[in-house]
Amino acid sequence: MAEIRATKRLDITGDCCPITFVKTKLALEEMQPGEILEVLLAEGEPLNNVPRSLKFEGHKIHQVRKVGPNIYSLLVERGEDQ
Amino acid sequence: MTPDFHELKKGGFIKQQGPGLFLMRLRTIGGHLTARDLENLAKVATEYGRGEVHLTTRQGVEIPGVRLEDYQALIEEIKALNLLPGACGPRVRSIVACPGKEVCPNGVLDTREMTREIDRAFFGREVPVKFKIAVAACFNACTKPRENDVGLQGIVYPELVAERCRLCGLCQSICPGGAIKIIDEKVTINRQKCYGDGACIASCPTSAWVEAARGFVVFVGGKMGRNPRLGYKMFDFVPEDEVIPLIDSILTVFEQKRKGQERLADTVKRLGPELFRQLVSFPGPGEALRKANMAR
Ligand code: SF4
Ligand code: SF4
Repeated sequence: MAEIRATKRLDITGDCCPITFVKTKLALEEMQPGEILEVLLAEGEPLNNVPRSLKFEGHKIHQVRKVGPNIYSLLVERGEDQ
Repeated sequence: MTPDFHELKKGGFIKQQGPGLFLMRLRTIGGHLTARDLENLAKVATEYGRGEVHLTTRQGVEIPGVRLEDYQALIEEIKALNLLPGACGPRVRSIVACPGKEVCPNGVLDTREMTREIDRAFFGREVPVKFKIAVAACFNACTKPRENDVGLQGIVYPELVAERCRLCGLCQSICPGGAIKIIDEKVTINRQKCYGDGACIASCPTSAWVEAARGFVVFVGGKMGRNPRLGYKMFDFVPEDEVIPLIDSILTVFEQKRKGQERLADTVKRLGPELFRQLVSFPGPGEALRKANMAR
């Protein structure tokens, strides 16, 4: 897979639901469609819930990687405005 | 006016503490009420009760402080407002349900529709003892299906459309049973480890995971009260359209086999869950499950 570069990074590892998703949504809203956001989040509830909510809002997840104990990195492409 | 004894017998009107006072128990379909229902409830509680209600553990609404002489007028008003009378005594009680797929992000099934069907088929049916049914739309089991005579828990089995997969790795990371593994750049699933929670289907960004089979795990013989017992996981997978005939058969076997004042939990324990299961008529999980490769 070609290397995807994020133009912005968001750390929500210390947040809980629904702040995790709200912060991600707000960050994406400040970006242009097609831009990539890297989100760092904890496994468990945030990892279970944030990606499915992003999908629902029309954003695209390109990659999910474990980057530390219980910490994951998501590469999210900002979707078109609905 | 003499109250209609036939109506009274169906339950819902209960003697409360205090002289001459009763409470009117109403039911909901899985805890769902419209704003209009709430307005009507407020109106009825003010007119016939003392302007207050109690929310029951089975998602019903009780109006205390009603007088016997007002019963006839009250029940007529309740019907006119499309509110639903509850039940007490040896009957199938109100069906409890979680909000399900329509609202809850974890839900894999539409509990509201299922609950409406169960209510229509069984609510108020006379059984030797009280009989409780609960529905939950996923394995988080918020409505405690195992604490009921019959409990349903939504389950969905996934199927991979491999050419849509972009190998993002998400499904592997979130699969609760560790069933999904990416091996040699291919997504694989170990069917025996699948919990059926639908997380992969809900989350996959390319919709590579799709729904192959949807139904309920059915628990039988749970109860609370003085001698609580958890229900047995008796049916691993019941397709939605088999739920009504299955519950009907469970009720029939219970009616035939129970002794004295036994709750279903006691009957199942006495006979043994395996024998009870064999007595219940259930055609099996069906084509959907075979197609999903889940048959065990
Ligand atoms: S049982 Fe599942 S679907 Fe129902 S409310 Fe709980 S988490 Fe949501
Ligand atoms: S979540 Fe979907 S796209 Fe990502 S690896 Fe799994 S099947 Fe492939």
